[in-house]
Amino acid sequence: MSLVSKFTVKKAEITVAVILALSSLALMIKSMENRITWNTEENMGAGFLPFYLSLGMLICCVLVIINFFLKRTPQSKDESPFIDPEAFKFVSVTLISLIVLVFAIGYLGIYFSLIFFLAFYLRYFSEKSVLFITLFSLITPVLTFLFFEWLLKIPLPQGISEPLFYPVYDFMY
Amino acid sequence: MEVTALLLQGIFTAFEPLNLGLLIFGCLVGLFVGAMPGLGSVNGVAILIPITFIVPPTAAIIFLAAVYYGAMYGGAISSVMLGIPGASTAVATVFDGRPLAVKGEAMTALTAAAVGSFVGGTVSVILFTLFAPPLAEVALRFNAPETFALMVMAFATFVGLGGDDIPKTVFSILIGLALSTIGLDLITGKPRLIFFGMPGFLHGINFLVLAIGIYGIGEMLWTLEETKGKVQMSKLSVNMKEVGKALGALKKTFLAMNIGSFLGFFVGILPAAGATPASLMSYGITKQLSKNSSEFGHGAVAGVVAPETANNSASTGSMLPMLTLGIPGSPTTAILLGGMILWGLTPGPLLFTQEPEFVWGLIGSLYIANFFTLVLNIALIPAFLMVLRIPFAILAPVIFVLCVTGGYAPTQSLHDVWLMLLFGFGGYVLRKLDYPVAPAVLSIVLGPLAENALRQSLILSDGSMGIFFDFTAKPIAAVIMYIAIVLVLMPAFGPIYRKLFKKA
Repeated sequence: MSLVSKFTVKKAEITVAVILALSSLALMIKSMENRITWNTEENMGAGFLPFYLSLGMLICCVLVIINFFLKRTPQSKDESPFIDPEAFKFVSVTLISLIVLVFAIGYLGIYFSLIFFLAFYLRYFSEKSVLFITLFSLITPVLTFLFFEWLLKIPLPQGISEPLFYPVYDFMY
Repeated sequence: MEVTALLLQGIFTAFEPLNLGLLIFGCLVGLFVGAMPGLGSVNGVAILIPITFIVPPTAAIIFLAAVYYGAMYGGAISSVMLGIPGASTAVATVFDGRPLAVKGEAMTALTAAAVGSFVGGTVSVILFTLFAPPLAEVALRFNAPETFALMVMAFATFVGLGGDDIPKTVFSILIGLALSTIGLDLITGKPRLIFFGMPGFLHGINFLVLAIGIYGIGEMLWTLEETKGKVQMSKLSVNMKEVGKALGALKKTFLAMNIGSFLGFFVGILPAAGATPASLMSYGITKQLSKNSSEFGHGAVAGVVAPETANNSASTGSMLPMLTLGIPGSPTTAILLGGMILWGLTPGPLLFTQEPEFVWGLIGSLYIANFFTLVLNIALIPAFLMVLRIPFAILAPVIFVLCVTGGYAPTQSLHDVWLMLLFGFGGYVLRKLDYPVAPAVLSIVLGPLAENALRQSLILSDGSMGIFFDFTAKPIAAVIMYIAIVLVLMPAFGPIYRKLFKKA
């Protein structure tokens, strides 16, 4: 946790500004795959707008960096931790579980992934009983299925679990 | 006379069973969304847009407008009871609503907020009915150059009126515009910015992916950090005596209601302003003009009425430029505008002539939604308080499930869910560093419209930018462009003005 406390708002401000500046530069280079010129003889090239928009982004980032070194913004003087160490647990576990959820959706399918996601999240953060967590984790994907597949007729990704749903589809249609 | 007939037709449309059912459901959802800390109208509308694909556009807009409207009422509940604004539009409600709750007068605060919202909503919807048709008629004369000039003005208002860090605000606008250019170029047909050759980028970035990412995932991460999953609720006794007492206290809030209603409406119609600045301005001005200004901040009923009247009034006002000019007056209307495009409608003045049922159905529904939300709000306060007791640790995963399914449903691509997650995390980090995120959402919605208008104008003028500044050929476009330039330069004039003023 000490690392989290050491990463101050000030450090975050300059780190993010530099990352955004580099991303803007990358975007400019990427835009150059298309024609970036425009004049009265020929119409605007497909890369013109993306190129100059990312150039504008780069200029903004440079201004943020200059403001940082001149200590013009509150963030450039703020030595408090960027994220409260106690809250870091909430944010990081949430983010990691969301990343795992989206990975799992591609493989296991959304409904089974949701069961594991909800069970883990509730077990980790709430003080609810195992029975509550089990019921909640099972009922939510069922409601999601009924809402999307039955009511909206929008199929959600099912990954390797797809064959398990064939009997349900036979029953529904 | 014609307006009256159209309005009556609109009210009848809103009373059709499907529309009325969705309206009441939307009001309920809005009240809930507004009351939940961390969720506001913009989050509710962004997350719920995918479920409107199964109903006709009129029913869809009525539902989402009711969510928008209900959220303006609901925001006050958590501001008063938890001391946490349910949404940014209810920030000013905490200043006096919370002290009233601490003194044991929570019911007074909640009733004042509900009645204030009703008055603000009613006044603004009447103003809306009067202003919309003439404004739409003027807007009918708008061609590509005028439309582009308007878009530029919408972006300029963010820079000029926003008190935020200017380079960060401009960055936010530009990144939204840059994201909107991803995909196939409509004029040349060439693919643009297809990163790592991923085919998912070919269809561009749907504005919903950014909106749900920022306002769903990002906002929840922010709220989880702020509250660490814990909130403290005030006690509340609900009885008719308390309601009567609260209504009596409202007699002294005539000034606050007037300021909130009219100021809210006019701030609402400014592009990119919306209900949050309206409520804060209304609170500030009412406090300055009130005879009892010293009571503000310690539990003044007028301090609750002023922001609540204004935020409802502004939410209606912000729909005026959305419908008549095709530019949104707030982040929520930016998402509604995106929804209209998804439903196959072209926002702008032609809507009034081509889709009168849609436009007047929406206007009619605002009158009805106002009444239903007031009744539902007061009747369901005890029920909402029970819901507010749901721990965040349970509510958060449910919202994440809605975000993931909502991000997937429009394009049915997992690629977009990854992007949504990325935008959610990015939005959370940028918001922590005071980068305003609303301009990015506004820009990704307006980006394609602005690019089309710009390129069509340049084709008309043989590539000359002079078309936007020519007072003789395009006077409306030129006036709007110069206003936009003044707006952009306003922050630069600020320090000069202050220096001169100090010297004087």
